Amino acid sequence: MKKDSMKAVLVLMLMVCLVGSLFAAGAKESAPAKEVVTLEWWTWDSEEYNEASQRAMVKEFEASHPNIKINMTLLPTKGFETKMTTALGAGVGGPDVAFFSVANWYPKALVLDEYIKRDKFDIGMYYKGFWDTKTQFNGKTIGLPLGVGASIVMYNKDLFDAAGVAYPTNDWTTDEYLEIAKKVANPAKKVWGAEILTRPFRAIWFNHGENARLYSPDSTKVDGYLNSPESLAAYEWFYDLMRSGVTPTVSDMATLSTENTGPIDLFMANRLAMATLNQGHMLNAVKAGKNFGVVREPGVGDNPRHVNAWSLLVGIWEGSKHPEEAWTFLKWYVGPEGQKFLMDNANLFPSIDSVAKQYKDADKDYVKGFLEVLNDTQVAIWRGAHPSGTKVEASITDLWDKIKLGLITKDQIKGELNALVPKAQAVLDEAKKTLLY
Amino acid sequence: MVTKQVKRSKAAVKEALCGYLSISPWVLGFIVLTFIPILSTIYYSFTRWTMMDKPVWIGLENYIHMFTKEPLFYQSVKATALYVLMSLPVILIFGVLLSLLLNMKIKGMNFYRTLFYIPAVISGVSIAMLWTWLLQPDVGIVNSVLSFFGIQGPKWFWDPKWALPSVASMSLWKVGGSAVIYLAGLQNIPPQLYEAARIDGAGKLRIFFKITIPLLTPTLFFQLIIQMIEAFKVFTEAYVITKGGPLKATYFYLLYFYEEGFQHFNTGYASALILVLVVIIMAMTMFVNYTSKRWVYYEGEDKAR
Repeated sequence: MKKDSMKAVLVLMLMVCLVGSLFAAGAKESAPAKEVVTLEWWTWDSEEYNEASQRAMVKEFEASHPNIKINMTLLPTKGFETKMTTALGAGVGGPDVAFFSVANWYPKALVLDEYIKRDKFDIGMYYKGFWDTKTQFNGKTIGLPLGVGASIVMYNKDLFDAAGVAYPTNDWTTDEYLEIAKKVANPAKKVWGAEILTRPFRAIWFNHGENARLYSPDSTKVDGYLNSPESLAAYEWFYDLMRSGVTPTVSDMATLSTENTGPIDLFMANRLAMATLNQGHMLNAVKAGKNFGVVREPGVGDNPRHVNAWSLLVGIWEGSKHPEEAWTFLKWYVGPEGQKFLMDNANLFPSIDSVAKQYKDADKDYVKGFLEVLNDTQVAIWRGAHPSGTKVEASITDLWDKIKLGLITKDQIKGELNALVPKAQAVLDEAKKTLLY
Repeated sequence: MVTKQVKRSKAAVKEALCGYLSISPWVLGFIVLTFIPILSTIYYSFTRWTMMDKPVWIGLENYIHMFTKEPLFYQSVKATALYVLMSLPVILIFGVLLSLLLNMKIKGMNFYRTLFYIPAVISGVSIAMLWTWLLQPDVGIVNSVLSFFGIQGPKWFWDPKWALPSVASMSLWKVGGSAVIYLAGLQNIPPQLYEAARIDGAGKLRIFFKITIPLLTPTLFFQLIIQMIEAFKVFTEAYVITKGGPLKATYFYLLYFYEEGFQHFNTGYASALILVLVVIIMAMTMFVNYTSKRWVYYEGEDKAR
């Protein structure tokens, strides 16, 4: 009996070993290699991230992530908008990862908060202002900010030297801006002191005070904001600038400055002593060997300083079949690795402070000047609210036109602003009803 | 007899089938690309829709808002109507005059015909850019020429009073295209009519008003309809040059539609806007068509009877 039981135990152990080894061998032999997933990535090219650098970046990513292939589709900007709107609207055929550059698409972006929390993804690495204003929609994170851009005042040092005017500094005021523009202008040589601002309610407006905005921060009320004393002061300052005689005329600006990107051509041609431009223009000026300096937009008294800044929101489409892999790609691409790659191989200014500090010309004054403005409070008309700012702004452009064309006196501005309030309020109410809410 | 009928009906069926098969690509294209989108537009015009979510049925709200609450609607209708009134005479009158010149029998005429037609094939954006420079108040060629004669030129696109006439004057650029159509009309006028008129002692002006213009009225009628529809669709000039300003002087209907539909994603409302434009154009076309009985002369007609 004892012998029999011993035999049985031995046989059982042998069987267990055999079966176990079979399983082990099987596991070794037939464990499927992790499935390779192909992600659809829609993008466009620009000076900051050209096609070659993006394709090279994809190779770099694929080398370190063998289970993910990226199918990069490069589209023209306008075609991109059409394709995204169609795909997102139809709910089929959208990309896994793409720029969510149009506010109308925000509701279709995958909410990332759970992924960020789960992976302990360090959002603190991004410039706070950009994170707060460019990645949130209805209180949720819908993407990561790729690169940074900002308006800066570039001044032509040669023209300043010729006029014997001291260079502006970061603590300058709107009054000083006007004075300097007058001093540095030289009508005999067809040199203008400063350009005409393209729109109200940007950094200089916000620098006049927190109420110098189109409507309340919660996007409900126009009265007390559009017509606030601070807003009035900003309009009056603009009026003084327009009547100073040291800016190009409206038609000069329209014909001589590059469409939608500011008067870079006039600046490069030494016809404009100061111009509100951006970091792309700044790099072009460096390439062209211009002798220039960079300063932030002028402030008003001790009010907090603002910057008109932007970043490109990259998100995951909520209909993506591979959200995990898309998230892996997204956090690499818009994380330190991807942004550093695009900074080193193209012209991207990263949205990550620690990476930006590694910029090849980080020690140059113009780069320091640019990076410094990124920490200012950002202009955000529809922060976390709704994207109808442009529509409300469009409803008040007549006043802007009247000031530019000299069809109004300074004393009439207050009355005009008050008269615009109900009109803008009606547009705001209507816009809120129709757009996303 | 019966066999013959069967054969004939089989042949007729076969012929009909061939016919339907031949036109089916167009019919399918029409249904998918035109008919269904038209029906969809009608439906969307009664909804609130941003293209991202499902349309929400709101009945007549878009139309009520358009007609009762939206000043931009009336501003855009006014700017467009004024543009139509200004540009149509320019393109019709100058088109006829140019075609008369191009109908002259002189050496190298084909070269001139080609030359005047070239602007018709150039893209609207390029033309707009060109006109921006031509009418630039400070350095533009038009004001430079005017100042040579001691005239201070206006600010053209940048003056609320002059912006609309400036945009309308750009229609001159399109005259070459319509002149070719008039030219075909002119060449269809029987030469014996001119010969008979000359023998009867009619002067050039009389011949022009009594023979050329009446016989050209079918072409004029066609051009009036086509150019009127084109004028209602004015967009590029405002989009590229004036952005609808200054003071909404050139805020044309299609610019308004574009902003609502493609910038503010107010697609339901934009659908209503475009349908109203279709109705306006249809009404105007029907009106012109109705009046045509009084002024369009067709050779085959016997008015005396």
